[in-house]
Amino acid sequence: MDLLEPTHQAFQLLFSGDPELLRIIWLSLWVSVAAIALAAAPSIALGFLLAKKRFPGQRAAVVLVQALLSFPTVVIGLVIYLLLSRRGPLGSYELLFTPWAIMIGYMVIAFPILVVFTISAVQGADPRVYETARCLGADRLRASITTLWEVRFGILAAVVNGFGRAISEVGCAVMVGGNIEGLTRNVPTAIALETTKGDFAQGIALGFVLMVVALVVNVLLALLQGEGGLT
Amino acid sequence: MSAPLVLLRGLRKAYGERVLLDIGQLAIEEGGAYVLVGANGSGKTTLLRILAGLETAQAGSMSFRGEQFGFAAYPERLRREIAYVHQHPYLFHTSLGHNLEYGLACRGLAAAERARRVADAIEWAGLQAQLATPPAKLSGGEKQRAALARARALDPALLLFDEPTSNLDRVGRAQTLALLGQLREERRTVIVACHDREVMGLDGFARLRLDDGWVTLQSG
Repeated sequence: MDLLEPTHQAFQLLFSGDPELLRIIWLSLWVSVAAIALAAAPSIALGFLLAKKRFPGQRAAVVLVQALLSFPTVVIGLVIYLLLSRRGPLGSYELLFTPWAIMIGYMVIAFPILVVFTISAVQGADPRVYETARCLGADRLRASITTLWEVRFGILAAVVNGFGRAISEVGCAVMVGGNIEGLTRNVPTAIALETTKGDFAQGIALGFVLMVVALVVNVLLALLQGEGGLT
Repeated sequence: MSAPLVLLRGLRKAYGERVLLDIGQLAIEEGGAYVLVGANGSGKTTLLRILAGLETAQAGSMSFRGEQFGFAAYPERLRREIAYVHQHPYLFHTSLGHNLEYGLACRGLAAAERARRVADAIEWAGLQAQLATPPAKLSGGEKQRAALARARALDPALLLFDEPTSNLDRVGRAQTLALLGQLREERRTVIVACHDREVMGLDGFARLRLDDGWVTLQSG
């Protein structure tokens, strides 16, 4: 197969300002960012509690969250589909086959990633952080926030990984979004569709965008971590 | 005669079968300076951590300025009256100024008062030249001085220092000893757990000796 011609076409397409292509990219970005922004606070808080608090069933809760990491995303998509479908418990909100449904799916997929990374970051924190904050007069909430701040690069890694997982997700997005042109078609679902149609140019162009986004986000994280290493 | 600042009664701390602390009564007088001595593993750190509310004891009670409570119900407000500094103090990965300001912000002090106390703390500890240095890059002695200054800036009723001169070089020890001496001169209530003979020999410090869980006041 000749890859040069479709690659050449892909870059022409990218720099042509094709409105459909831009819309697909924009949808992918805002849905992924919104999903992570909404999932971050509760999942980081849960990760902190699971790492720091001792309570009956804590170990089982950690194992359950870890198990969620390996759940097939199509199964997550199926569950959300059933919940949002017209006859489902949330059907009255008419969210199925909208960007909001994809966002919910991304939140569910990113949630265990954020929780597990947070548990790891907090468990790896120096125990003197929390104690020092408490000894200096911080209440429990403030001491907890201080601890999270001290492991902020681990938390940032959690957010970056969650974002990477969301923006590249296909199975769940197709199931609950429907891959509808002009409405719910995003980068990964468009790549999958265009490739099956034999339109490699758009697939390559969108794949290139995904790789650039992943690269930029990880370079930003590395830069921040580098700065942190100096302090 | 006024009540002691802190009075421990019937304190018992055990790990399994091993009784680490079994203190009938221990009074810490307001304005008193004490060195807490004892062999390795005698419970010096544990006693300081119990006083700071970082650990509980199986039995006993503590009173602070006459108010009595059990160790399981350590009053939250006491965390702003008693400051504990770890053997290897932790400085937050922010800036030296922020570290010195942290506890003051927790107390809700106004920005001007926080700035005044931070400036005073920097001068007291002789850390003017280190102000722009990231805390992680400070030497052991500078970290210890910063931690002492951070605790002193809070103006707590009781300062607890755990082996503040351990792992410091000669210069760092001398500087830390000088600061401990100044705290004594300022009539602050201080307990310093130590092995260091130079700390034990500080002027005006009474000696509390921990042996087999018992604590005895050796000299005043």
